[in-house]
Amino acid sequence: MIDLLRALTIGVMFGIGLFQLLRRNVIRSAIGLMVLTNAINLFLLMTGAYRGSVAAYVNLSGQRSDALPQALVLTAIVIGMAGFVFLLAMLYVLTLRYRTADADDIADLKH
Amino acid sequence: MRAAHLVILPILIPLAGATVGLLLWRWRRWQAIASALALLLSLVSAGLLLVSAWRQGPLVFQLGGWPAPFGISMVGDLTAATFVVMAQVVLMTGLIYALGCRDRCVSYPVFYPLFLMLTASLTGTFLTGDIFNLFVFAELMVIAATVLTALADDRSGVEAAYKYFYISLLASIVWLSAVGSLYASYGTLNMADLARRLAADPSPPLVPAALVLMTVFFMIKAAVVPFHFWQPDFHAAAPTAVSAMLSSVVVKLGVYGFLRMTTLLFQPQAELLRGWLLAFGLLGVFFGGLTALGTHNLKRMLAYSTLSQIGFILVGIGWGTPPALAAALVLTVNHSLVKAALLMLAGAMASRAAVKSAAFAHLTGLGKGAPFLGALFLLGGMALAGIPPMNGFVGKLVLFRSGVLAEAYPSLAAVGVAGILTLLYVTRAFQIVWWEPAPAGAKTKTGGDRLLAPALLIALSLWLGLWAEPLLALADAVSASLLTPSAYIAAVFGP
Repeated sequence: MIDLLRALTIGVMFGIGLFQLLRRNVIRSAIGLMVLTNAINLFLLMTGAYRGSVAAYVNLSGQRSDALPQALVLTAIVIGMAGFVFLLAMLYVLTLRYRTADADDIADLKH
Repeated sequence: MRAAHLVILPILIPLAGATVGLLLWRWRRWQAIASALALLLSLVSAGLLLVSAWRQGPLVFQLGGWPAPFGISMVGDLTAATFVVMAQVVLMTGLIYALGCRDRCVSYPVFYPLFLMLTASLTGTFLTGDIFNLFVFAELMVIAATVLTALADDRSGVEAAYKYFYISLLASIVWLSAVGSLYASYGTLNMADLARRLAADPSPPLVPAALVLMTVFFMIKAAVVPFHFWQPDFHAAAPTAVSAMLSSVVVKLGVYGFLRMTTLLFQPQAELLRGWLLAFGLLGVFFGGLTALGTHNLKRMLAYSTLSQIGFILVGIGWGTPPALAAALVLTVNHSLVKAALLMLAGAMASRAAVKSAAFAHLTGLGKGAPFLGALFLLGGMALAGIPPMNGFVGKLVLFRSGVLAEAYPSLAAVGVAGILTLLYVTRAFQIVWWEPAPAGAKTKTGGDRLLAPALLIALSLWLGLWAEPLLALADAVSASLLTPSAYIAAVFGP
């Protein structure tokens, strides 16, 4: 049950992210990218989602969760956040400079 | 110090240099000197790594002392060491170019530290033996490259940087899903361990997904044709010293990835992957050549030419025989040297034009005021088109020979025809800039970016064309070591 719920969550987030990613508005597409990133983060976390009952220390006995995906996701979240902040900063400069958020109008380089 | 420390030195030295550079932000001259020294030192350590990997086989450093499948292994085998030396030689000339260029952006206090970060992270992606660690290094590289582009004097720098960063973040997501798929299937992130398990049992359902996702990631990184759209835009705007690095050595991460995927990671699916690479390579060779013929900006032309040259390399990897892999490696090294030199020359020419731009409209006929630059461009163009005595000729020769040996005649014919396109677009550019009469009133500015860095690169490619044996011997050794993945795996797991 909980697995199905998680799979559905990932699927829905992936769908929303992909839909927003393909919009012409650059701000929406940036947000879509972030949603997509988090869908993937959730997927990464699920790859190790065994039902553990004790913390993953070496000297504890009992069923442990796999700690590695959690470490991976932590790294991925931090990197993703830094990337997103930087993306937003560039977006701010872009929208100020071009006075538009339409991806088709931000195309000086094509000329 | 143990020999294994050589594996991390080419990453640690630029990283330390970047930190020192940031501390020296007030004293720009000292910062530049410290950065150049750090890069030189790291190049020396990379050279030592190459020599020792060639003599004694792969060197492995286990970070934190954790044994192989549990910790992160840094693996300096011959392939990785070759790519590292190639990248750092070109990055060194990039730094020399930046030292002698007129762009305002190189005087910003973060320029040299970011340049060293780019070096450290690119080196890291080649040396790491862990697929998640590769993601971290790739992300670090993208951020350094993006900031370096956004700093450009050109007003469109931010637009170029945004496009690059956006596509690269997307590529990172793709890589993360591949990492997740492989971890769910095999419970390991270590490349050697993955290769071993995947060869033993390629049946888990997520493996084909991981194969496709990884291929897409490396194709975006290498600007292979259907995934190339971010690349040409961004070359017209990035500072010359940076665009010369991104179009020459940073795209080689994709080539490196494909070499690893076909010979180490996905051995059971290697045939399938080679077929894809051959198809995409041939597409890229023609698409890149034809679009390069139609551009109206010198830097954009060189960017499109990268698509076509990457296509040649992919064809070599796609044939997959030992001589073809060696040819792909020779082409990779040649392209890095020559493309960096040509982009620097284009930037140097633009810095001499009245309006600082590499558009042909602003450059027509201006070459008459810069004959030495023209001579260098001619030699570089000859190298790109594969005319003796330059190294490009040797590259084309070994590629065609390997094609004949592999009896891949249809693709060989296609590659031969596409080779003519290279000659055409290089000649066209040379003709417009150096032969056509300058429009009335057009003047060349005196002084401009210094030519030491491109001259060094052209001299190196001329030298590799005249005396090609060392590179060919190295390429043969690399292809032999690529085709014995068991040695790589054994080295990672230790005695």
